[in-house]
This record gives sequence, structure tokens and C-alpha cells, in this order.
Amino acid sequence: MWRTGRKLVGTLWADRKARAGASILALFVLVAVLAPVLSPYSPTATSFARSAPASWSHPLGTTGSGQDALSQLLFGTRVSLLVGFGAGLAATSLAMLVGVVAGYVRGPLEVVLGFLTNLFLVIPGVPLMIVLAAYLPSRGVGTVLVVVSVTGWAWGARVLRAQTTTLASREFVAAARMAGEGTWRIVWHEIVPNMVSLLAASFFAASTAAVLAEAALEFLGLGNPATISWGTMLFWAENSNALLTGQWALLVAPGLCIALLASAMSLVNFGIDAIGNPKLRER
Amino acid sequence: MAGTPGELGAAGGRRGDGVGGSAPGGSGAPGVGAPGTDGTSSGSGGRDGAVADPQPAAPVVEGEPGGHPQRTQQPLLFASGLDVVYEPAGAPVVHAVRGVDLSIDPGEMVGLVGESGCGKSTLGYALTRLLRPPARITAGRVVFDGRDVTALDQGRLRTMRHRGFAVVLQSGMNALNPVRTIDGHFADVLRTHRRVRGAAARQVAEELLGHVELAPTVLDRFPHELSGGMRQRVVIALALALQPKLVVFDEPTTALDVLVQRAVMDTIARLQAEVGFSALVISHDLGLVLGTADRAWVMYAGRIVERRESAALAGAPLHPYSAALLACHGDPTADNVQLGGIPGSPPDLSVPPQGCSFAPRCWMKEPVCRNDPPERVIGTGTVACHLAPRKLVVPRALEATVLASTAGGMGVGQNSTDGTATYDGRAALSAGPGPGASDGPALSPGAAAAPDGAAWAVRRRRSLERVEPEALVLQDVVKQFRTARRTGGRAGGRADGAWPGVGRARSSTVRAVDGVSLSLEPGHAVGLVGASGSGKTTLGRMMAGMDRPSSGTIRLGGLRVETMRSRDLPRYWQRVQMVFQDPYAGLNPVHTVGYAIGRALRNHQRLRDDRLRSELHRLLEVVGLTPSGQFSAKLPHQLSGGQRQRVVIARALAAKPQVLVADEPVSMLDVSLRAGILRLLDELRRDTGVSLLYITHDLLSARLVTDHLLVLQKGRVVESGPTASVLRSPSHSYTKQLIEAIPVVA
Repeated sequence: MWRTGRKLVGTLWADRKARAGASILALFVLVAVLAPVLSPYSPTATSFARSAPASWSHPLGTTGSGQDALSQLLFGTRVSLLVGFGAGLAATSLAMLVGVVAGYVRGPLEVVLGFLTNLFLVIPGVPLMIVLAAYLPSRGVGTVLVVVSVTGWAWGARVLRAQTTTLASREFVAAARMAGEGTWRIVWHEIVPNMVSLLAASFFAASTAAVLAEAALEFLGLGNPATISWGTMLFWAENSNALLTGQWALLVAPGLCIALLASAMSLVNFGIDAIGNPKLRER
Repeated sequence: MAGTPGELGAAGGRRGDGVGGSAPGGSGAPGVGAPGTDGTSSGSGGRDGAVADPQPAAPVVEGEPGGHPQRTQQPLLFASGLDVVYEPAGAPVVHAVRGVDLSIDPGEMVGLVGESGCGKSTLGYALTRLLRPPARITAGRVVFDGRDVTALDQGRLRTMRHRGFAVVLQSGMNALNPVRTIDGHFADVLRTHRRVRGAAARQVAEELLGHVELAPTVLDRFPHELSGGMRQRVVIALALALQPKLVVFDEPTTALDVLVQRAVMDTIARLQAEVGFSALVISHDLGLVLGTADRAWVMYAGRIVERRESAALAGAPLHPYSAALLACHGDPTADNVQLGGIPGSPPDLSVPPQGCSFAPRCWMKEPVCRNDPPERVIGTGTVACHLAPRKLVVPRALEATVLASTAGGMGVGQNSTDGTATYDGRAALSAGPGPGASDGPALSPGAAAAPDGAAWAVRRRRSLERVEPEALVLQDVVKQFRTARRTGGRAGGRADGAWPGVGRARSSTVRAVDGVSLSLEPGHAVGLVGASGSGKTTLGRMMAGMDRPSSGTIRLGGLRVETMRSRDLPRYWQRVQMVFQDPYAGLNPVHTVGYAIGRALRNHQRLRDDRLRSELHRLLEVVGLTPSGQFSAKLPHQLSGGQRQRVVIARALAAKPQVLVADEPVSMLDVSLRAGILRLLDELRRDTGVSLLYITHDLLSARLVTDHLLVLQKGRVVESGPTASVLRSPSHSYTKQLIEAIPVVA
């Protein structure tokens, strides 16, 4: 597992697109970690002039309630990355569990899991997210994370299930059975290590979707408006008619960041595609 | 679909090789200055890169390279100094074809033979400009019909492909579009390139299908309704639709069943003689090529090392590699059957060769082999070997002889010896120990003759302390597969009272194995032969406990497979193990050799730590993977096919089984490596007393490693008995067919 992981990173770095994506991603992580150092002010401080245009002291201006937009943007990275990676991880784990089990076992469980996967695939994601977010009692980053995970695992499960089915029919799985290995051991030590690139691709795809979904939910006001995130920045900017007052930076800056982060993850995924499909590597 | 057996004999000696003149190397440079016989060749002007001098540049002093020393005709295709490299991103550059010169005359059939990775397909693709990145022609030229193909642009190349050459690929039979009828495939080609449509096109298509012995009704079928052999015939007919001058067949029959293989090859040979196109047949199977082609080229490590007339090559090969390849073929019905093997594996083509590239595997190398071998003209052929015309004696890996006392089932003796066999006379010489096993130290040569009860009792003790060996007994074993087929509710549905138009699910059952009884005694080797679909693999899987029989019993002592629960099966697998067919799929790519074997040792023998490690190393040494310490840390992709199969065998042995079920264990391996694996299986049986069920379609290997043979057809045993007797005097027509399908060499 460790060895394939290392090889994965090596091949990834050899790919130009993946390298660009990973670099941008690393930059975002750095910003998120160093947000308190980089931010000129506290993101929640409301002591500045309201809706001030861009100036040397406030490069992106201030919000309608008198907060420094740049500080908010820098701190907002934390939420986006947290929800992105957190929901990506949760959705991929769920997808792996459901997909691999559904792909390997035979009988009623396979049918039930297959039905569940298909059910979540056909339910339109955004409306479900809105309904869930609206009805869940507490609002906050945690809620958004749960909602995004629950709506985002089904596609990955479908893909992993198909891959598991093919791998399970390979001779080395039959050989492992004959070598006396138990079902659990076969699944985790024979099948799953052969899906590392698929899992990674699934993770980045889910993370990308999560970043976008998180922004969307908060923009719609379904998150906690008190959180500092790119989504809430957009929410407040919209509420205070930022465009009409000429404060386009309040909308463009978080929007660009969301797009850039999602693109970076997609770029990394291009590299992972090349691992799974060696034909793409030749180009 | 019946072949035309009568025509094959004609194909072999159809055309005398030299068209004129008999003196070797005589008639100077016949091509030069000779005007093209037809208007198209070389007369088409310089625009398309037409070449005035079709003679390949001569890199060697002695005679001309490129095949025929005596040619009076203009070649249809020739190549000189052709170099092809693969330049994959992030991997070393592989030099797949090095400085190849060749020529093919109009109307002749040439075979190109070599093991996987020797560059034969790459060469075939280069000649037809089908190479795709990362492959690239870096030097040399290919002249087809007077035009330099390497210089053509895509548009001209397209015309050239349609009118000039056609290619039939191994997977060609999968190239048919599944949603279109065969008629549709023909209509496309004929409309676009011959401007024939409608009824006329259909008539042409029917005629073409007639050539490949298919009925006109095939035109209305979809590809999935045809068998593999029929599909390959359709593809051949499609290739001939545009009346090409040259057809390149790349492994045309490799994916087909043994019986079909022969029939398709017969068709190709007959067509080629009738229609008169030139053909290049690329194959790994020397027997197949020698049986059909006029001339044969043997390729090794990107070079053509020998080119001869087929009959001459079959009779007395000049290059050690050709001799070794030839030694892998034989007549399983002969008194004395031998199998040669070549130690080592083909060289890494990303490393420039130092001298003769075959030298590292050659058993007769001399200091002079450190230099690049010249291509010498000998008789009517050429050979790239320093030692050339020298008598070649191939080390022998396996041998089976019929003993004088042929009494009962045990009259067939088998010897696994280190020795040599000569080509002329086939008499066994004792010229010292040759390198027997392909890549590893030779095990103690099994000196046992006929296995009888007493001898086995002695051997048994060595490995099977735990349980007294018992016979694996099958009684009336049946395996049915249910295929749910949806039948349309047309006329029949209405009559049955079902709603019209609504399909009814009707399951039909297929009996893959139909009432087989057999007993595999301890220490015996039973062969299971049959064509694909005969049920031999299904039977093997049931015997290995991987499938349950639909009815009947499979018993090993107190264990009854058909009633065992899944979680009890590991107990059965402690005594019965399986060697899988595909060494590339049988090992998990993410685990080391040590892990794969170690897990089996842990589970089956409950070994831990030091004892596990020492047993692991012992097993690796048994299968010939030394130094064992190095091999245990390797991942499957770092091993060759033969080495992988040895790991698979070692893993099966880790359970200390009494029975090994080997399902086509060598069919995926190159011929030169097969002998080593077969020899290993044979020795294991002799040394450890494990009994062997050997499943194969290859009668020669069955003759070498088994003492009892079952012939399976449509799930039933149609003939059984001592291997040699069954093969030498077959009584069932199906067995006779299988024996006839073996390509005859020499």
C-alpha cells in the first residue's frame, strides 16, 4: 500500500497538469495554515468604515458590516479546505465501504447496497442538499460537511463497485482464496490496494464537488452566516448589493478563489487519470 | 466451416524457392536496372518517393542480405536498414527493430517467427506504416510496389492501404462492429473503395465469403452470432475485398481454438495460392509457419537471425535460436518425444547489444560471439551467426519414451534427463548436462521409470508426513450452467397464450461437464485434453474446489467437495492446490513474491517468523528461483513470465498439497520457457509424490508430463487410457482430429 502510494505520487509529479494543480493546492493549504499571520486584521472585527472601496489599508475593501475583506478571504480558505477535504474523505470512505462490499459479496446485501447507491444517484443533488440543510437543527460547518458527504458518495461507490467486481474475478483473488485467506483479508489486502489510483481520483472528485457545494449552500444562506468562508462572503456581498455599490472585488475575489481551488483539484485528477490509464501518459 | 485438408499439403511445396539459377549468391544484383514488369512499379515518377534502385544496401561482404540470393524478379516489398524505436514518456527508449533488410516477392508467402518481444509485430506494423506513437521509424526505408512507404503522407498512405496492402490482426475478429450485420461491413468497404453498391455489392460479398468457406447467409448475421473462427474468416474476406497485393497476417489464429486454428490456416494457404497475393504471416508458432509459408524468417531481439526456405529450416536449422525453437515442437505420437528449452530470457531491448544478442542464452557460444555476427549466405538462405554452418545439438529438457514392455496402464515410461538430442536421426547423445530448467538450477534429475506402487510408497514419505495420500475420486460429475435467455413473444408466444410482444424469460441449461468419473491416484499424472469449450477448465475448477458440481461426487479421502461449506474449503485446499493459466493475472501486482508465498505458508502450515522464512526460501529454491533472498523481495512486474509461473507453483506448493491441478500452466508462456515449467512440474511429481491433473490442449506437453490421458469433448470423456497408447492409436474420431490439428514440422 505504501509502495503503491509512493509510486502514485511520483507519477503524479511527472505529469505537468498534476504538478500545477498540486502547487496551487499547496499554496492554498499554506494560506489556510498561516491565515492568522498573513491577515492584516481580525476577520470578524467590525471597526472599519462600512463598504469602503479598495485602498492601501484594505486592498479588497471592507464589507457592508465593516470587516476587512482580505482578512476574510484568507481565513475563508480554512473552511473551504476543511469542508473540501473533510467531505471528500468522508464521501470516499463511504463510497469505498459501500462500493467494495457491494462488488465483492453476493446475495441480498449486494442488492440492498446497489439499490441504495442507485437511489442516491437519481436524487438530484442540489435540491436534496437544500432540503437537508434546511431541516437539520444546527447550522454550521459541521452540518454543511455532513450534507455534502451524504449527497456526494454515490457516484464513487458505483465506480468502485464496478472495479471491485472486475478485480474479484481476477485469478490472483482466486489464488488468495486457495492460499487460505479470509474474505476480509482478500478485500483489504488484495483488492483495495489495486484501487489506490481510483480511490485518489474519487477523493479529489468528491473534494472538488464539496468545495463547490459548500460555497453554494452558504451563498444560499443555508449555512451559518456568522462563519467566515468564501460562501458567506458571497452571501453578504450579495445581500449588501456589492455590485451596485461598485465593490465588485467582494464578489470576484471569493469567486475566483473557489474556481481556482476546484480547478487545482481537477488538475491533480488529470494526473491520476494518467496513472489509471497509461495510454494518456504518452501524450 | 470445414477446412480443406487436401490443400495444405500442396501449400508447403507449392513454389520452388529460387525463381531461376541455382548457384548460391549467383546472378549478381538482379533487381538493378531491371524494368518493372508491370507499369505501376517504379515507373510512377519521383513524386511519391519512387525509388530507382530497389536493391537494399548491402551491409555484409558475403552475398546479399534481404533473403533470396538468387532473384530475378522485382520484389513487391522491400525494406533496408529499417530501425524502429519506442520512445515512451518517462521510460527508456526501446530499440525494437534494428537494421532489418528484407524483401517479399509477388505471390509468395513468408512467415515471420519469434517469441514475444522480439519485434516481429513491430516490424509488421512498420512495413505497413501502422506504427503509432511512441513507436517511430528512425532509419531505413520501406519500398512497396516501387514507392517509398516511409515518405508517404497520410492521404496517399490511405490509398496505398486500400489498394496495396491489407492487414489481418490477431484481435481482428473483435474489430467487427457488434451492431452491424456482416453485410453492412462489406457494403461500406465496397461502396467507398470499389464503388459497388446494392445487389452487385452483395454478390461480390457472397463471392468473397465463398473464398473463406462461409455460406452467403452469414451476411445477414451479426458478429456475435458467429464463432471466433467464422469471425476471423469474415475479417480475412474483408481484407481481400479490395484485392490487395500484400496481406500481413499478425498472429491470425492465436486467439482461436486448436481445431479451428488449423482450418483457418488452411484457408489462408489455399486462398493465397489461388488468388496470388503476397502474404506475410507473423506468428510465435514456428510449426504453424513452417506448415504454410514458402520461406520463413526467424527474428530475435529486433534482428532477423535466419531466413530460409521452410523445408530447409525445418530440416536443418542454422541458427541456434531457430534450432531451439524447433526443438519445442514435436510429434506427440512418436516413440521418443523430446522437448528442448532455452535457459534465460530474451534481452532487454533498451540496452544496446554487445555482440550477438543471443549469446547470453546460447549453449555453444564462443569468444567470437562478443562481436556483432555478420549475415552469411548459406545455400539459399542467410543466417546471422558466427558459428554458422555447424551441426546444432539442442539441450533437451524433457523426454518421454515408449518402453518395450507395454503392459497395462503403466507401460509408458517417462524420463526427465539432462542430455542432448540431435536433429539428424533424433538419437539421444549423452553429451554432458545441458542447461535444463529455463532459469534456475536443475533439480535432481528424476531417474524413475514407470511409476509403480512400491516406488511411490518410498517417495511419499518425503513430503507428506501429515496425511496418508488418498486418491481424488470423481463420480458422475455434472456441471450445469443456466443461461437466462429472453425469447421474443412473437408467434410462439401468442400460441402459448402469452401476451404478444412481451418476452418470456426462458432459461436454458448448458452441461459444461456431463457425467465424468475419474480417479487420480497419489503420485500419478493425468492429462485432460480437449478443444476450448470441452469443459476441461470447468472440471479442473471443480476438482480444485473452486466450483461445486451440480451433481455427482468429488471425494478426497473423507472430504467431499460437493457438500463442503465455503468456510471449510481451506481444509480441502491444504491438500489440493491449483496452478493458474495466466502467470500475469495469478499474482497480485502490489504484493512481493515473499508475501504471496508467505501468506499461504502462514495459513496452511501455520508457520511464523524464522520457520516461515526458511520454508519460503526452500520453496523458492525448489522452483528454481535463486538466490531466493533476492526473489522474495521482488514484485511480480519485475519478473519474467516464466519466473512468475514458478512463483505461482511455489505458492501452490506452500500448502504441501497432495494434488496439483494445473490448468494450461504453459500456454501463456513463450515456447522456449515452456520446457522449464513442464520439467519442474514433472520433477515435483517424482520428488514429492504430488499427483498432477494437467489440463491442456497441447498434446505434446501432455505426452511429456502425464501417464494417463482423458480426452474430453462436450463435457464427456470420449477416450481414456495410458497417454502414449491414446496418442499413438486413437480410437475416437475426436482424438484423431486433435492429433491431426498439430502442425507438422519437417
